[in-house]
Amino acid sequence: MEDVSFQEKSLWLMFASLVVGFGFYFAMVLPPGAADVLPQQVVLFVVAVVMLVVMQVVGHIVIAIIDRRTATDERDRLIALKGTRNAGYVLATGVFLALCAALVTDGNFVFTHVLLASWVLAQLVEIGSQLVFYRRGA
Amino acid sequence: MGKGGGRITNEIRALRFQHGEMTQQALADRIGVTRQTVNAMEGNKYSPSLEVAFRIARVFDVPLERVFQYGEE
Repeated sequence: MEDVSFQEKSLWLMFASLVVGFGFYFAMVLPPGAADVLPQQVVLFVVAVVMLVVMQVVGHIVIAIIDRRTATDERDRLIALKGTRNAGYVLATGVFLALCAALVTDGNFVFTHVLLASWVLAQLVEIGSQLVFYRRGA
Repeated sequence: MGKGGGRITNEIRALRFQHGEMTQQALADRIGVTRQTVNAMEGNKYSPSLEVAFRIARVFDVPLERVFQYGEE
């Protein structure tokens, strides 16, 4: 990949770490064993978040060593704003679906996980759309 | 880039070469953007803000219209 900026490398890292971290979490907790969130699932969530943080911190250190130029400019800010806008649509839809799920299901498992999945999906859309804008133009 | 059916093009690459084969990085440093943004502008993938556009014209000491052109698609 030629001409890939620090920001793009950072986005790829965040995308991959989200997929790995929350892919691990959802693979472990689905399908649900009970109507409510179990204590061991909370522990798994904490493990997933720690994995995410470690991957992102270590990855960003490596990227910063490889690519010394970490400055951002107006194009980076515009692309970030467009990504956030796209994520907003996904998150709003997810919140609505989570509320619907809360009304029609027992316990808190489905509600919390629809909400969490919506947030993860919104993050992936935000990052993914930024990567598209960097390649195709903003 | 434009939403009114027009398209903004530019002569940044040609102007760089006419000014001592200035590198993208050198131009980027002088106008306060990243090299990737200069590359995106040259590929017509990004239209800069007016402020950056004027800075580019100032670097090459030419009118804005010499750097950027707006034409119908």
